[in-house]
Amino acid sequence: MRILVVEDDAETASYLVAGLEEEAFTVRRAANGRDGLLIAMTEAFDLLIVDRMLPQLDGLTLVKTLRTASIQTAVIFLTTMTGIDDRVTGLNAGGDDYLVKPFAFSELVARVRALSRRPRGTAVETRLAVADLELDLLKRVVKRNGNEIQLQPREFRLLEYLMRHAGQVITRTMLLDNVWNYHFDPRTNVVESHLSRLRTKIDKGFSPELIHTVRGAGYVLRAPE
Amino acid sequence: MRRNRLLHASSFRLGLLYAGLLTASVLVLFGVTYWFATDYAARDETDEIGVEFASIQDEVRSSGEARLPTIIDNHVRLRKDVRAVYLLQDPSGHKIAGNIEAMTPFLGPKILDRIFDGEKRQVRAYGYNLSNGDYLLVGQDTATLRQMKALIFRSFGIGFIVTVLLAILGSVIVSSTVLKRVETVGRTARAIIGGDFSQRVPVRGTDDEFDELAASMNAMLDRIEDLMRSMRQVSNDIAHDLRTPLTRLRQRLEHARRRTHTVEELQEALGHSIAQVDSILETFGALLRIAQIEADTRSAREVSVDVSKLLSGIVDDFAPAAEDHGQQLVAEIESRLSAKADPELLTQMVVNLVENAIRYSPVGARIAVQARASAGYLELAVSDTGPGIPMQERENVLRPFYRLEASRTTEGSGLGLSLVAAIAKRHQAKLSLNDNDPGLRVVVLFPVAA
Repeated sequence: MRILVVEDDAETASYLVAGLEEEAFTVRRAANGRDGLLIAMTEAFDLLIVDRMLPQLDGLTLVKTLRTASIQTAVIFLTTMTGIDDRVTGLNAGGDDYLVKPFAFSELVARVRALSRRPRGTAVETRLAVADLELDLLKRVVKRNGNEIQLQPREFRLLEYLMRHAGQVITRTMLLDNVWNYHFDPRTNVVESHLSRLRTKIDKGFSPELIHTVRGAGYVLRAPE
Repeated sequence: MRRNRLLHASSFRLGLLYAGLLTASVLVLFGVTYWFATDYAARDETDEIGVEFASIQDEVRSSGEARLPTIIDNHVRLRKDVRAVYLLQDPSGHKIAGNIEAMTPFLGPKILDRIFDGEKRQVRAYGYNLSNGDYLLVGQDTATLRQMKALIFRSFGIGFIVTVLLAILGSVIVSSTVLKRVETVGRTARAIIGGDFSQRVPVRGTDDEFDELAASMNAMLDRIEDLMRSMRQVSNDIAHDLRTPLTRLRQRLEHARRRTHTVEELQEALGHSIAQVDSILETFGALLRIAQIEADTRSAREVSVDVSKLLSGIVDDFAPAAEDHGQQLVAEIESRLSAKADPELLTQMVVNLVENAIRYSPVGARIAVQARASAGYLELAVSDTGPGIPMQERENVLRPFYRLEASRTTEGSGLGLSLVAAIAKRHQAKLSLNDNDPGLRVVVLFPVAA
């Protein structure tokens, strides 16, 4: 999997490149917006990681230009800005995800993986299944081993998200962003308490366990090998 | 220098303009007076000539036409003092009587130049044709008119000079008093630039525009001083509050360098250190966010928000967390409440309040998120049955980094309520901390457009 990192700060760039290569990605780096645009237009990548503030051509314009040229490669914006509108403008410009610096590297990796496996342009699924766990999006019904399980609306959305990204590590922030639509970090254990309830309903009395905690990174819903 | 300032002062220029206008009006007055007075004098002189001619005719009627030359000679002698002129000549142009030489006859009024005693004078004359065909000219010196003109010129000349002098003097006086008052404002400003923020513009008590200006400036300075004080307070707090965790971080790292023997131990120490750095960065992030919320004016992101739905959602989200703390989180929300708000900020505000309630209330506490419509307001409240906040501390807890003694040991940045206050302010909502008997009840009143 090929990733282009467009980042002007040399230290941050080498931190990103080294870390991503360690995760077995093929990484190329551009040091400014213009080079980044040129490389992104001429070579094929699976993912772009673009800093919002870049010399010569800012990240926002870079991605807008790419989208105008019908290049639909997934984009993760990096930013030091914490402005309330930054996330919205980033996504509106054609970004797929958004990370505020500083971030834990595991957070970036989780998001990279989530984006890289996202099916692009395929039909919307109405049924999800992992092992003997089934989720019907139309009937809003969840079954484990054929038994119907009652879920709260938020638990349903949480499970849906985990099942869509089955096998991928999902961070707490990703859940907050995508399931709760909270773009700030609550100090209480909102995510944890919902997850533990979901876990009780899904996994308790069933075998094997599907929802796992990945220490220091997040959660994963995974069928045993 | 001072003289130069006076000349450049706008009040002085205004004074000069005023003086100019005054001068112009004096000139107009002069012109009108001159015209009317000279016109009057000229007519008066013409009338006198008519009277004189009538009296000659009277005398002719009583003593016969043949006596006309003698009558004229008499009149010449009698009216020498007013420098009267007479000329009687026959149709062929020969002088019969009078004190001026024969001339081409004219009828009606005319001004003649004459030399009297070697002095050139103007004479107002009137020509008449007599019934026997002779020509008679009666005239007199234009002394009245001349004197009138001289008088007008003299009085207006003096008046003009006095007017101009007074106007200039007036503008100097006015502008120097104005300058003096402006100068006091300038002096205050310079003192403040010099660092003495306690300086204020003196108010004279005359209740004029200058006093009003001084009062406004002083109010502005009070506000600025207030802001600076709170800013200084905040930066002191920041320095202090970041110093503590940084010091702890340093200790931890140093300890790790000296005491760790295995890679696992080192890893764990580093993990703790990173968590500590993250919490410091989080504090910075919260500060930046508060600053941003405070700096922005009402944003375009404000939309009509279904408040009832948003609040119930938050209660649903946090009820499990409260339950895990052995507390109960309930919704007491009227249905179909809506308000113009930034949904993201509104969510964050309520979440902060709910989280505070969860964090600071003991096991068994009941936390309620309440919302209702009340007379032009949307009243949103988060109440708990926890320890509450003492009356005298309620103002303080809204300040950044301020933390109650009892909560010093719990984790948290001390910025939660500041953020709530900033969000409330941005929505022009009123935030107040009240007693819940027992516990705390935080009320936010959102103005609702009718």
